Amino acid sequence: MLKFTFRRLSLFVFTMLVLTLLSFSLSFLFPGDTVINHSGQINATPTELVQLNKAYQMDKGLFTQYVAYVSHILSGDFGQSMASQSPIRDEIIELLPATIELSLVALLVAMLIGIPLGFIAAINHNKVSDNAILSMAMLGYSIPVFWLGLLAILVFSIGLGWLPSAGQISLLFEIELVTGIQFIDILLSDSPYKWQAFSDASAHIILPACVVALAPATIFIRLSRAAMIEVLATSYIRAARAKGLSFKQIIFRHAIRNALIQIIRHVGLQFANLVTLAMVTEVIFSWPGIGRWLIESIAQRDYTAIQSGLLVLSCFIFIIHILTDFIYAALNPLARGNKYGS
Amino acid sequence: MAVLMMNCKTLYYLTITTLVSVLTACNDSDKLSLSERSIIYCSEGSPETFNPQLSTSGTTSDATSKQLYNALIVYKGKNNTLAPSLARSWHVTEDGKKVTFYLRKDVSFHQTNYFTPTRLFNADDVLFSFNRILDNNHPFHNVSGGQYPFFESVRFSELVEKIEKINDFTVRFILKRSDSSFLANLATDFSIILSAEYAKQLQHQQTKHELDIFPIGTGPFKLKDYRVGSLIRFYRHDSYWQGKAKIEQLVYDISPEKRNRLTKLLAKECDVSSYPIAHEKITERDDLTLESITSLNVGYFGFNTQKKPFDNKLVRQAISLAINKQAIIDTVYQGQAARAKSLLPETSWAFDNKTPELGYDPQKAKALLSLAGYAQGFTMDIWAIPVQRAYNPNAVTMAKLIQADLRKIGVTVKIITYEWSTFLRRLSLGEHQSFLLGWTADHPDPDNFFTPILSCSASESGNNRTFWCNKEYDKLLEKALKTTRVKERKEYYAKAMMIINEEMPLLPIAHSKRFQGRGNDVKGNILESFGGISFYNVSKKPLNSKVGNVILPEITDKASN
Amino acid sequence: MAREKIYLEESFPSPFIQLWGIFRKTPVAMLGFCCFIFLVVLAIFAPIIAPYSPVDGNLDMILLPPAWHDNGNVSYLLGTDELGRDMLSRLMYGTSLTFGLSFIVVVFSLVIGVIIGSLSALTKGIKSSFLNHFLDVVLSIPSLLLAIIIVAILGPGISNTVWAIAIVFIPQFIHITRYAVKEEFRKDYVLASRLDGASNFRILYYSVFPNIVERLMSQATLAQSAAILDIATLGFLGLGAQIPLPEWGAILANGLEHFYVAPWTVYLPGLAILFAVVATNLVGEGIRHALKLRKES
Repeated sequence: MLKFTFRRLSLFVFTMLVLTLLSFSLSFLFPGDTVINHSGQINATPTELVQLNKAYQMDKGLFTQYVAYVSHILSGDFGQSMASQSPIRDEIIELLPATIELSLVALLVAMLIGIPLGFIAAINHNKVSDNAILSMAMLGYSIPVFWLGLLAILVFSIGLGWLPSAGQISLLFEIELVTGIQFIDILLSDSPYKWQAFSDASAHIILPACVVALAPATIFIRLSRAAMIEVLATSYIRAARAKGLSFKQIIFRHAIRNALIQIIRHVGLQFANLVTLAMVTEVIFSWPGIGRWLIESIAQRDYTAIQSGLLVLSCFIFIIHILTDFIYAALNPLARGNKYGS
Repeated sequence: MAVLMMNCKTLYYLTITTLVSVLTACNDSDKLSLSERSIIYCSEGSPETFNPQLSTSGTTSDATSKQLYNALIVYKGKNNTLAPSLARSWHVTEDGKKVTFYLRKDVSFHQTNYFTPTRLFNADDVLFSFNRILDNNHPFHNVSGGQYPFFESVRFSELVEKIEKINDFTVRFILKRSDSSFLANLATDFSIILSAEYAKQLQHQQTKHELDIFPIGTGPFKLKDYRVGSLIRFYRHDSYWQGKAKIEQLVYDISPEKRNRLTKLLAKECDVSSYPIAHEKITERDDLTLESITSLNVGYFGFNTQKKPFDNKLVRQAISLAINKQAIIDTVYQGQAARAKSLLPETSWAFDNKTPELGYDPQKAKALLSLAGYAQGFTMDIWAIPVQRAYNPNAVTMAKLIQADLRKIGVTVKIITYEWSTFLRRLSLGEHQSFLLGWTADHPDPDNFFTPILSCSASESGNNRTFWCNKEYDKLLEKALKTTRVKERKEYYAKAMMIINEEMPLLPIAHSKRFQGRGNDVKGNILESFGGISFYNVSKKPLNSKVGNVILPEITDKASN
Repeated sequence: MAREKIYLEESFPSPFIQLWGIFRKTPVAMLGFCCFIFLVVLAIFAPIIAPYSPVDGNLDMILLPPAWHDNGNVSYLLGTDELGRDMLSRLMYGTSLTFGLSFIVVVFSLVIGVIIGSLSALTKGIKSSFLNHFLDVVLSIPSLLLAIIIVAILGPGISNTVWAIAIVFIPQFIHITRYAVKEEFRKDYVLASRLDGASNFRILYYSVFPNIVERLMSQATLAQSAAILDIATLGFLGLGAQIPLPEWGAILANGLEHFYVAPWTVYLPGLAILFAVVATNLVGEGIRHALKLRKES
């Protein structure tokens, strides 16, 4: 396990190095002055510019500049947004949790729907229900996420009026920003409307989370189906069957557990996919997350925001990736010897 | 129970005359749920600042002027006459060079968790608010950029010699010359009054820039919370001098996307929505109302006269001739606007019926283009405003129509758009070739069209984005301001319009109404004929709403208790 | 003068023909294949078939509903948008943008990926290990996110989108080629031709490629369905095709404003995207299914 940890850590350091280098070089690739791209201070006066040049060591060699840049990042200074002129760190701290919240809920939904369906399909391998689930999965996988979101709003918000169409929570509720994750903030707050706010926030997350979850759910169907078919073909299942265990016992006590381990391996990869879908969905549901912010920044050509936003987002995805690797390794001793993740 | 008593008590003092109704009102107000005591307004963009002195954008003044602040005087009533506000009354000397204001003595500033006022409003506040603009050496002049676009465009600092404090409640403006639009300019959404005491406190704390970020004013609402690009939360100013507002909480839900705004209105997630699209969808719903107000405005297509090829008068004329304005009116405004003959709306008293209008003539346009040396056409960009405004409900569609029109004379168009504040910033830097923008009058004086949009001074302050500067035109405007005789002024303005028509720094397209959608449970006037919107008179009819249906104490700011 | 066959010749169809034989017998896959061919034809001949220009509108016919509605007009079969542009023509032109470009992009990345992949399959040591690490990192980032990142660097626009997506899809082709080639090289028939003195290149070209081509095709269909979605999504977000290009995602975004008044401007392009992706996926499924059957037989 120690070796495994070491390997992952070195991979982590390597990737961070690549990512910071990329984000550092972006300042040179983007049009405009490099130091302004670093700092985002478009209205800087000449004296301020001199200070900035000094802070980012612009007169020294490239390596020193890079070190200065990384030390700025490490100290939490991402510069300020060219569009809003407010510190990017504050904006990210405010927005990233909303994306995490949406993605986590969607992941949960995708797994809760996808994995059981996949298992059912595998158990009924090559039967009608298997085929039905598979074709549904293909259809679900093919629907463009933004279109699905629009249809969902049209049907559930406007047509039926069941669920709200936009935002994280009704703006009437004043919830103080502590962690940024709405549900936790509501529980922490001492608002007299706490429980109402909680149910309101839950109503708000249903539509976007389901829309985000659809495509990953279909992938979970495929993954879990494949894993289950594989497990059912193994000799220990045959042995269990020979022992005279009932079908139910075999499935619930042996097959599911072993199949789940196989699926957990893929959760990290799927989470990255999910975050991307969440970025698009945020635009449609006006979800105040980092995806919407980043897409807007790209359209604005707000280079400082793009640069830092990409850095933070890819770090976040990568950390989740490594975390799931660890969980997988902890659950499955066989995986620890692996040279690198496939 | 204690809270309930306190609540009754405050109400009691406010309206002593109708004791019985007060008591019932008090009980009612306690039964009202959170949503019935609050208004959510879906606004079209984030304000650039919380001080309207610093910006001419309608989004900023909508969010700030009438909510957070008051001006000395206001326009009131159907005939748009000047009425007292923070000034009880005023007096103008015969030569028009001395204007004296007598101030109210019962006006209090906001109390928030960042400022607690110790005194009422007085002459120092007026002096502070205007000296900040006038005096280049004022400690606050250069805070937040030192640009006061509206005041620069009307040459305020050239007009006002000084402001005198006669006593605590009397101030006198000494002007260098008489100016027929001076009082009108003081009644705009930009001429608001700040708190001098707050400024002193900030200066002491060395956080001067917070003056325009955490605002303190005398208006009916005070700022509670602002999240950039997401929401502005206002609480009611309980000791507002005109009596406190009927709603306790006002939330601006910043939703720049038109479809999102309509969706929220249709799904009842916001009570009032600015500039709604798909009017027929709103009118067909019986729980929503579409309202409109005739506003003095103009939507135009401007050219950057400092950039090639628009530094050439012929090119500007050619492009203007090639655009089918009527098609734009039918498509973009859905017929709800008047075609603009010139910069000034025909409803203005100064409009001269003889003013000619440039027609639609692609043949002539082509001829002019080849005369200018662009027989093969050229490639240009059009900057389309990203937000909806009354004068232009859909700039991108308009740009697409212009794109199609110009293709016919061999000109290729690229459409460019940015988020509102970035758009304005880049526009003021002159990065554009041509742009779709407009102007909404802040007061009924015709000068409010000519000077801020096209004068030389406006081109320096960045408000005149055509960067067109014509001495003759400026002289005409100056003459028009010096006289008070209507006929003479009208003549000068007619001449000015002739110059615009010839030089074509911009092509006026339409004068339109301002629209707004609201739920039927929202009562009271919001749209004002000049400048922005005001939520002071708004109340909400109790309804069974989905959100916040629990009886709970009044929303109060913790800091104020 | 027909020649009689004297000898009963035992012919071995190539793996590809075998696959086609099985593929043909799956009706669903064939249906998908027909749709796919239909889209290819449409993408190529859109300018000839389309009744109207996709950019110039008829301002007298604004927001006309599709012909089957009461207010519809038969000459505008699928209705018009807010500028009176014919939806049918726009969708047809859109086929060559969204579907056609995704096809070209996939072919491009396939070629580049196969070249790099087979070269890397023949190398060993640090270079190979570095590539492996690198591919691990790149493949763990979703294609859309990577495309967004690249568009962020290059700036919005359809050509930049195409480049971004082409770059994004190369690694997966490298990965699969590398893996497949390595696997094939371990097999006996490769050893046989090597003993005959064939060079690596010759082995690759004559022995290995015919055996991995279906696997590459299966991957290519996966990539294409993702590419269609990615191009459309970027167009929808305003990062891809710019006004007035009739790219499906961009048409959809354009229709958003009229969603509640003229819903066909939104659901038609959405259906077009869905149709193209489903057709592509059906072909892919068919190939995979046939591959599995061939292996089992």
